[in-house]
Amino acid sequence: MRTGRLVDRVGVPLFAVATLAILAVTFFYPVGIVLVEAVVVDGRLSPATILDIVRSEFFFGIVAAALDDPGVLVDSFPDYPLGLFGFTAYQALLSTIASVLLGVPGAYVLARFEFPGRRTVRSLTALPFVMPSIMVAIGFVATFGDNGVLNDALRALGLPTLDLLYTLQIIVLAHAFYDAPLIARITAAAWEGVDASVTETARSLGASPLRAFRDVIVPQLLPAILTGALLTFIFSFMSFAIVLALGGLELATVEVWVYHRVNQLDYATATGLATLEMMFSLALTYGYLRYEARQRASSATRPAPRRDLFGSVTPTRLAVWAYCGIAALIFVVPIASMLLASVTGPNGFTLENYAFLVERQADAYGFQVKPLTAITNSLVYGVGSLAIAVPMGVLLAVISTREFTGRKLVDTLAMAPFAVSGVVVGLGLLRGFVFGTEVFGYRITIAGPIAIIAAHAVGAYPFVTRNVVPALAGIDGTIVESARSLGASRTRVLLDIELPLVIPGVLAGAAFAFAISIGEFDSTVILATGGSGYTMPVAIERFIGRRLGPATAMGCVLLAVTAISFVVIDRLGEGRGLGG
Amino acid sequence: MAEIALDGVEKAFDDTVALAGVTLDVRDGEFFTLVGPSGCGKTTTLRTIAGLEAPTAGSVSFDGVGLAGVPTEERNVGIVFQNYALFPHMSVAENVAYGLKFADPPDGQSVDERVTDLLELVDLAGMGDREPGQLSGGQQQRVALARALAPAPEVLLLDEPMSALDARLRERLRRQVKRIQSDLGVTTVYVTHDQAEALAISDRLAVMHDGGVEQVGTPREVYEQPATEFVASFVGENNLLRGDVTEADGGGDGRTVTVSVDGAEFSIGATDAAVGVGDSVTFCVRPEALSVDGSANRFSVDVETAEFLGETTRYYADWEGRTVVFRTPDSHDGRQLTLGFDPADARLL
Repeated sequence: MRTGRLVDRVGVPLFAVATLAILAVTFFYPVGIVLVEAVVVDGRLSPATILDIVRSEFFFGIVAAALDDPGVLVDSFPDYPLGLFGFTAYQALLSTIASVLLGVPGAYVLARFEFPGRRTVRSLTALPFVMPSIMVAIGFVATFGDNGVLNDALRALGLPTLDLLYTLQIIVLAHAFYDAPLIARITAAAWEGVDASVTETARSLGASPLRAFRDVIVPQLLPAILTGALLTFIFSFMSFAIVLALGGLELATVEVWVYHRVNQLDYATATGLATLEMMFSLALTYGYLRYEARQRASSATRPAPRRDLFGSVTPTRLAVWAYCGIAALIFVVPIASMLLASVTGPNGFTLENYAFLVERQADAYGFQVKPLTAITNSLVYGVGSLAIAVPMGVLLAVISTREFTGRKLVDTLAMAPFAVSGVVVGLGLLRGFVFGTEVFGYRITIAGPIAIIAAHAVGAYPFVTRNVVPALAGIDGTIVESARSLGASRTRVLLDIELPLVIPGVLAGAAFAFAISIGEFDSTVILATGGSGYTMPVAIERFIGRRLGPATAMGCVLLAVTAISFVVIDRLGEGRGLGG
Repeated sequence: MAEIALDGVEKAFDDTVALAGVTLDVRDGEFFTLVGPSGCGKTTTLRTIAGLEAPTAGSVSFDGVGLAGVPTEERNVGIVFQNYALFPHMSVAENVAYGLKFADPPDGQSVDERVTDLLELVDLAGMGDREPGQLSGGQQQRVALARALAPAPEVLLLDEPMSALDARLRERLRRQVKRIQSDLGVTTVYVTHDQAEALAISDRLAVMHDGGVEQVGTPREVYEQPATEFVASFVGENNLLRGDVTEADGGGDGRTVTVSVDGAEFSIGATDAAVGVGDSVTFCVRPEALSVDGSANRFSVDVETAEFLGETTRYYADWEGRTVVFRTPDSHDGRQLTLGFDPADARLL
C-alpha cells in the first residue's frame, strides 16, 4: 500500500522527466545544434552567417536590395525580385489560393448533399495526413511527365505533348491535391455545425435564401476557411518532397535549398537558412494555434437537411456535377496513373516493375539504390520508430491529462516538433550525432539508421498523443474514483482501467506513427545521404526521372501501407488528426 | 464497520465555498442520509469522507482515527455513483472481483465464491459473464453495489445511486438496498436530493443547505419538528406563516402562544421555544393538518387550484394574498372554504 503511494507521487513526474529527456536528445539538442551553428563562426558568436543571408538578393530579393539602397524600391517598381524566401512564400500563397478554390466547393458538396459513399469520401479527406508527399509527387510525374498518362493520351490522339513537369503550376496543383481535402474537411465540419433553425429564422424574418446564406452561414464558415488556409500556407511553405521532385533546383524553395547546401557540404549557409526558416515557421504556427484556439466547434442539434446529389437538373446541380468531375480528375487521376504506370511496360501489362523490387540485385553497383534494401529499411525504421513513438506518445497523453504545475510547459515543449520541419531535424541530427558530439572528452557518434529512427519517432509521437488524449480525457472520472475506492493506487488504475479503455486510440496512434515513418522523406533524405540507410521514399526520389516503372511500383507499395494504416486510423481513431 | 466523525469540515474550490464547517457523527451500522438541494454540499461531504476531496479545514475520522492524507484506496470504503461507473472492458464478475485484487475476501472465501455470493445478494445470480453494456440501468446499479460491497468495506457511500432510474424501479431498488444494508450492518452514507426518498430509507438524516448542516435527526423528528425554516419548507410540504406574538401564557414546556398574522390570531400549542410578547416569529402547519371547517384557528380561503392525487386531493388556496396548501381525502367544490387546525399540529420555528 505504501509503495503504491510512493509510485503515485513520483510516477508521473518521473515519466515526464524521462520523456522530456528523450525529446531533448532526439529533438531539442539537434535543433539547438542548427541554431548554434547558424550564429557561431570560427568558434565565436557572430551574426555574420544570418546577416549574409538576409543581405543576399538571392535569398531575400528586393528586401535585401532595399537594405543596401532603399532607392531600388522606387527604381525597379513594380518588378521586384522575390529571392528564395519571397518565392517560397509566393508559391505557398498560390497553393493556398488553389486549395481554397478547390476545397470550399468540396465542403459545400459534403455538407449539403447526400449521395452514396458520402461518408467514405468524408473519411478520405483525412487521407493527406498519412499520405507520403513523395507518393503524391510520383503520382503527378506518372500523370503529367513526358511518358505520363496525359501525354500518352495526347500522343494517341495525334496532339502535341505538354511539358508540365518543373513548372510552378504543377507544384501548386500538387499542393492543392494535398491540402484542399483538409480545407474541405474543416469547412464542411463548420457548415454542418450551423443549425437549420438559424437559417430558417433568418428566412422567416424576411431574408432571401442568398441573403440568409450571406448573413448567417458565411460568417460561421470564414473562421474555418481561414484556419484551413493558414494551415495550408504553413504546409506549403515548408513543403519539401513535392517541390524537390516536381520543381528541382530551378524552382527551389528554402527547404530544397537547405538540402542542396547540405549536399554541397556548405553547412554554414544550410544552418543559417534553416534557422531563418524555423523562426518564420514557428511564428506562423504560433499564430495559427492562437487563431485555432479561439475557434469553438459548434454542433447543430438539427442540421440542415441534405439535398440529393442526383436529383432533377438545376443550375446548382449542374455546377456541382461539374465540380465533382474536376475534383475526381484531380484527386483520382494521379493515383490511377501511378497504379497504371506500375503495371505497364513497353509491351503492355507487366509485373516486371514489382519483380524488380524484390530481386536481390546482386549485380547492382554499390552506389546504386537497391529497392529491396529500401523496403527492408523502411519496415525496420517503421517498427523502430513505432517502438519509441507509441510509449512516448502515450506517456505524454497521460501527462497532459493530469493536473500538475508546469503541465502547460510540458505540453508546449512536447508539441514543438509539429512546428519544425523534418529537414531541420535531419540536419541537426546529422551535425549533432552522425558527425559526433564530444561528451566528457569522448566522441559520441550515432549511426545513420539510429538517427533516422529518432527523427521518425519525433515526427510521429505527436500523432499518438493527439489520438490518445481525447480517449483518455473522455473516461468518466467516477470510473477512476470507483477503482480507487476499491483499493487500486492511481498508477494501478492507469494500468488496469485507463490504458485498456484507450487501446483503440493507441492503435490508431500507432497506425499514424507507422504511416508517418514509412512516408517520411524530409529528414531521411538528409540522414541517408551517401549511406545505405535509404528508405522507400528516398528510393522513389532517386528513381524519378530515371526509372518511372520501379518508382511507381514502389509508390504503390507505399500506397498500400498508407491505405492499411488509414483504415486502422479511421476505424479506431476519434477522427482527430491535426486540425481534423 | 465503523463510526464516521466529521469535525468542522470546510472545503473551498478556488473562490467558492462548498462546505462551511460540517460537523456530523454517523453511528456504527447506521443508514445515514445527506439530503438537500443541488449545490448544498452533500456530494462534497460524501467525497470528503471517501478521500476524493481533501478538506480545506477540519477533519474526518473513522472510529476515532484521523484520515488526513490517507488516499481513497486505503480507507476501506465502497462507493456507488449515480452513473454506475462500471468498468466497460470487464465482465460483470470481473467488475465485482476487482476490489478483491487488493483485499482478501472475508471469512476465508475464495474470490469466485465471494463474487457468486454478492451477485446472489443483488439478485443477479448467473449474470457474471455478461458485459456491463448488456444490462439495464437497474441491473448495472446492482452490479455497482455488489462491486462496492465485495471487499467488505467498513463504510458504504452512495452518491444519488437511483437518480438515473425511473420512479417505479427506484422504489423497488430502494427497498433492496435498505434490506441488504441492514442485513450486512455496514455503516452507510447516502446522498440524495429527494427528501421523500431520504425520509423513506434513512435511520437518521442530515438536511444540508448552503454548505452547512441545518438539522440532524430521525425522519420523524425532522418531519414533525423541523428546526429551521429551510428544513420546514424543504422536507415535505408546509405552510409557513410569519407574525407577532401577542400572548405567551405561563412558562416551561407545553405552553400555548398566540401569534397575530395581519390581524388574524392563531394559537400554537405545545411549544418549548423561548419567545415573549412582541417577538416576530414564523410557524408552520402541514397541509394534512389543515381541515375544512376545523374547530380551532379558523380562517377563510379562496380555492384556486385542485390537484387530484388519488387517495387525497391537494388544494392551493388564497388567504390574504398568501398561498395556502392543504390536503384532504374529501372533495370540495366550493370556491370559498373555512379552514382550521389543531394548535398542537402547528410548530413555532
